[in-house]
Amino acid sequence: MSENPIREFELLTTRRQLFGKAALGLGTAAMASLWQPQQVAAGLNEREPGIGMHHPAKAKRVIYLFMSGGPSHHDLWDYKPKLKEMAGKQLPDHVRDGQRITGMTSNQKSGLPVCPSKYKFKKYDNHDKGVYVSELLPHTSTVVKDLCVIKSTFTEAINHDPAITYIQTGSQIPGRPSLGAWLSYGLGSMNENLPSYIVMHAKTRFPEQSLFNRLWGTGFMPSQHQGMLMQSQGDPVLYLSNPRGVSRKDRRAQLDTLTALNQEVHRKFADPEVLARIKQHEMAFRMQASVPELMDLSSEDEKTFELYGENAKQPGSFAACCLNARRLAERGVRNIQIFHRGWDAHGNLPREHESQCKDIDQGCAALIKDLKQRGMLEDTLVVWGGEFGRTVYCQGNMTDANYGRDHHPRCFTVWMAGGGVKSGITYGQTDEYGYNIADADGVALNPQPTKEAWTPGTMHIHDLNATILHLLGIDHTKLTYRYQGRDFRLTDVHGHVIHDLIA
Amino acid sequence: MKTLFQIVAFFLWIVAAGFAQEGAPVDFARQILPILSDKCFVCHGPDAKDEDLVRLDSFAGATADLGDYQAIDHLHPEKSELVARIDSVDDPMPPVDFDKQLTEQERALLRRWVNSGGQYSKHWAFVAPVKAKGVKLETNGNPIDYWVGSQLKAKGIDFAPAASRPILARRAALVLTGLPPEQKLLDAFLADKSEQAYSRFIDELLADPRFGEHQARYWLDAVRYGDTHGLHLDNRRGIYPYRDWVVKAFNDNLPYDDFITWQLAGDLLPESTLAQRVATGFVRMNPTTGEGGAIPLEFQAKNNFDRVETFGTVFLGMSLNCARCHTHKYDPIKQREYYQLLAFFNSTAEPSMDRNAYEYGTVERAPEDQDAWANWQLLEYAQETLLADADKQLKAGDIDSAMIANWKKSSDDEKLGLLAGASAPWLQMDGNANAKLIQSRKSEAVKKFTTTLVAKDLKEPRKTHVLRRGEYDLPMGEAVTPGVIEVMGDLPEAAPSNRLGLAQWLTSRSHPLTARVMVNQSWQRIFGMGLVRTPEDFGVQGRQSTHPELLDWLAVEFQEQGWDHKQLLRTMVTSQTFCQSSARREDVADSENLLFARGPSFRLDAEVLRDVGLWASGLLDSTMGGEGVKPYQPPGMWLAMAHPGSNTKNYVADKGPRLYRRSLYVYWKRTSPHPMMTLFDAPSREASCVRRSTTNTSLQALALLNETQRIEMARTLAARLMTESDQDAKRLDRLFQILACRLPTEAERNACDQLLVSMLARFGNDKKAASELVSYGEAPGNKKLDVVQQAAWTQVAATVLASDVAILLY
Repeated sequence: MSENPIREFELLTTRRQLFGKAALGLGTAAMASLWQPQQVAAGLNEREPGIGMHHPAKAKRVIYLFMSGGPSHHDLWDYKPKLKEMAGKQLPDHVRDGQRITGMTSNQKSGLPVCPSKYKFKKYDNHDKGVYVSELLPHTSTVVKDLCVIKSTFTEAINHDPAITYIQTGSQIPGRPSLGAWLSYGLGSMNENLPSYIVMHAKTRFPEQSLFNRLWGTGFMPSQHQGMLMQSQGDPVLYLSNPRGVSRKDRRAQLDTLTALNQEVHRKFADPEVLARIKQHEMAFRMQASVPELMDLSSEDEKTFELYGENAKQPGSFAACCLNARRLAERGVRNIQIFHRGWDAHGNLPREHESQCKDIDQGCAALIKDLKQRGMLEDTLVVWGGEFGRTVYCQGNMTDANYGRDHHPRCFTVWMAGGGVKSGITYGQTDEYGYNIADADGVALNPQPTKEAWTPGTMHIHDLNATILHLLGIDHTKLTYRYQGRDFRLTDVHGHVIHDLIA
Repeated sequence: MKTLFQIVAFFLWIVAAGFAQEGAPVDFARQILPILSDKCFVCHGPDAKDEDLVRLDSFAGATADLGDYQAIDHLHPEKSELVARIDSVDDPMPPVDFDKQLTEQERALLRRWVNSGGQYSKHWAFVAPVKAKGVKLETNGNPIDYWVGSQLKAKGIDFAPAASRPILARRAALVLTGLPPEQKLLDAFLADKSEQAYSRFIDELLADPRFGEHQARYWLDAVRYGDTHGLHLDNRRGIYPYRDWVVKAFNDNLPYDDFITWQLAGDLLPESTLAQRVATGFVRMNPTTGEGGAIPLEFQAKNNFDRVETFGTVFLGMSLNCARCHTHKYDPIKQREYYQLLAFFNSTAEPSMDRNAYEYGTVERAPEDQDAWANWQLLEYAQETLLADADKQLKAGDIDSAMIANWKKSSDDEKLGLLAGASAPWLQMDGNANAKLIQSRKSEAVKKFTTTLVAKDLKEPRKTHVLRRGEYDLPMGEAVTPGVIEVMGDLPEAAPSNRLGLAQWLTSRSHPLTARVMVNQSWQRIFGMGLVRTPEDFGVQGRQSTHPELLDWLAVEFQEQGWDHKQLLRTMVTSQTFCQSSARREDVADSENLLFARGPSFRLDAEVLRDVGLWASGLLDSTMGGEGVKPYQPPGMWLAMAHPGSNTKNYVADKGPRLYRRSLYVYWKRTSPHPMMTLFDAPSREASCVRRSTTNTSLQALALLNETQRIEMARTLAARLMTESDQDAKRLDRLFQILACRLPTEAERNACDQLLVSMLARFGNDKKAASELVSYGEAPGNKKLDVVQQAAWTQVAATVLASDVAILLY
């Protein structure tokens, strides 16, 4: 410890403060506050990687591939051969069973015509009974032995803004910390030169649906836990580059002066934050070297680009983001999230989903293979999914070649891989319409599952988040942050760890 | 490690010893209620699920006869089940698997409390504040120093020495106006040796229009002001006249009770003025959506949840959110009361979805900036005077009675029209020419007005139901009528059953929270931390006031002085407590400064950091108000996230003076605010924020030294220093005078000289680099200056601007 005088000083100050408080005999509330999350946040950050907060962690890090807009489970993962017979016929009322649907299709003239997928599905072997994958995902289908495909994810929200806010923050109304912020708060960083939570936006031809800062924001939590945007345009990290005309050596000289000025302030006022700020300036200086090194793909061999595809050479492509994600993971970044927009096929699903799948398919598969060959898949959790699914009935015109699908909250497919998840299995199933979550015989659950109580075979989005936290060594009921008198959790008062998925 | 454990053990021992002290009476509200709330109420509190469970949130509940025993038997305390169970090994309370276990000290406290009769009292924040009796302040004595001093005296310590006058001047100017003092003002203060020097200095600051700009900023965080709708497309929204009104209200020192009333219910005031209606933008400030396919009823509910919960945080200092789904677990707030409160807001006339339109629902046309407001007010005043005068003339004159009758039933604007008339008798009256002038000036002014969202109620109120688990499609029982939270007092008699009544309730003298919450928010602005450190939570789970009597004194005084905000701040900044040195003290171990045994110190907010740089470099444009401005921003940030249909997907930076306006006016896109704001802890304004975090990150370090505008400030500041003096030593003096109100110390001078010398050498060898550096930003450069020198001074200025000398309040 004595090798780091600043750290030593901080510890010393903390001890003095602690001691001082006791000696002053302050009231219970003030003392309780000593142990409030705000106060111990710094302590949490010192956790050794992989140890976990509440139990041994299966995963040291997570890479979340977020398909914003709602990928169609019907056209990608949830094969329903019977729909061919029903094509164009009205969805039977008993299937919908009073489910609220969005204003976009609730009054459409064509009603709710059943719309089978136009894509071919093939069954691939996994470690279970095999899994059907659509022809839209030829690369992903090669890694199904590593995937845990969950067909029974569900939510209550039926519109994008509330739904994506819900799955990312645990509440449909803005104001809460994001999943990534919770992880940063709970686990801290494993790398002194990079932030613990990094977000990337992958390019798409269909940038429908917006993203919001709140999806990687901190809500009422201190803002140091917010995700850092890594951009493909300009500086990869905001304000990373020195101004034109200022060299690295010049910056060093500036920092030496800055440190001297700050030390002078510290000498006069003895505020420990001043010393902490000196540290942050040094970290920034190191980042100015480490980030360009990170972004420089010239050290990657041709095999890498064979794996990820030529597209990975295009900055900002999904494949490039996946490659960056692997490079970040190697460098100890705990939490990486890639947002890919354009999964909102209300009208031209084939055109849009074909393009979207082309964007992501190879990158997803490559990431899994790459992590695996480097021995990192076992402690890296990879998650793929969107904020809801899409309807079995058609929105707008329906022909053999073209159709659209509206938002569907009652079931959608998410997959996970690595990081302590069972590989090569599927979890949950839906009824023959891909409308309701079903039991093992394919009969729709009745009553519908709810977030209030877990039904085996289902995964509410709170359950998904609870499970992600669990794999990272966190008990979702115990990772709390007190705000306005309440100990908030990512999973609100819900969430159930799905042990059936855990290896 | 061993040492640390020993210290902790010792610490616990001291605490335990403190609690074991018999004799000192237990204070239920401050010592017991927090324990019960935190450790027991989840099951045994206001929202107890099981009717058979003992309720510990009231004396009646705790002493209820449970067959052959009572939780608290106040006649035979030793028989109390509560004490038996907290000490029980076999069947303990809380149960062993409960997350929050009692500490030994807490058990001791509970035992002492039960043994002394187990009496209950109301949570302090629900009892109206009173001035402590028997306190005599010295003549001109400051109540703050009295109460802070008493605690210090009890600990055997004294106030810290006074801060030096230059430091104090900078501190006071920064907390009041958000900028350091102007050189002239500073010089006058430093030269003024009279006793009134400081109070004169403060008067100047309070009268500075930049005061209102700075104070408004905190309020805009609290009410979640944004220039966009906030959800989905996050399109532009017409509401900035509200922001300008807030600035104006602070500058005009509008009494706080009016400040509240206008915002909640300005439209419902008799013969409401334009300003009063514009203020109701507060009610319309909730984020809204226009997302296709969204269900209007769902968003009607969500919009109102947001309003009620913001109302709770801003005015009551309480979270009401829990009560949306169930009766509050900790505070005595019932689910029904939540919906009764919601009923006040549920009848506004606008649709629940915004259609992605700039204006939707009820709008007003209002002055487009601060000058226009001033002009409008002048015209209104002139009109009022003119009409009063005309009234007198009409009464005195020999005028047709029908005409007088017509005059009498006309509105003010109609009267102005009559008076400006081209026929008798109006043509002959004194005011005729002036009326014409005012009329034409007004119509000119109105032409430039801009649209702003305001509140207006439907003729027939909407029905409000309690919603099961807060689900919009699960209404329960009969509709509820508007109503308030009982534990905080009833609606005043004769208060109307609408938002105006709600405002009357809030501003009534008996309301336990409003004044305390407001005083605490103001205290936090001045001292960095509130007396209640959780300004968002005055409930039983919140932190208690460090100086309860002081908070109450100030709250009562505030009301007695007519809710005079400037006076309140004056009391604070003229206190000895505020004027102390802010250096940490060797003799006082109090890292959180709970005792206020030193002056305030904190890192300045995002807006202030930017404004100070603009001001120091002379770039600051003092234009007040108007549509949000767009300074430089890295390219593509909005586009990377925005919906293709959004009208805020392209960020186009402004040109000219709009680049240099105060940060208060920076365009606020709620889903992606300016990165120089969010990096330095500004909230998104999607939800209410009454306390910003103050973080310290490497991304801030990068931004401080690399962001375009900061380089532009530095090179412009460098040019200023070079123009003002041709000697390096004097230039450095000026730099410190501007930013720190003092000269550099020897160590500072050495550090800066070292940088200057190395940069002069470096840029002397690379003029291209020098000219690149000094050409940052759009501000015109001074061609006459030596490029190498300017580049070197730019580096020095950038470094000092980024250092704690400039970014801290101390």
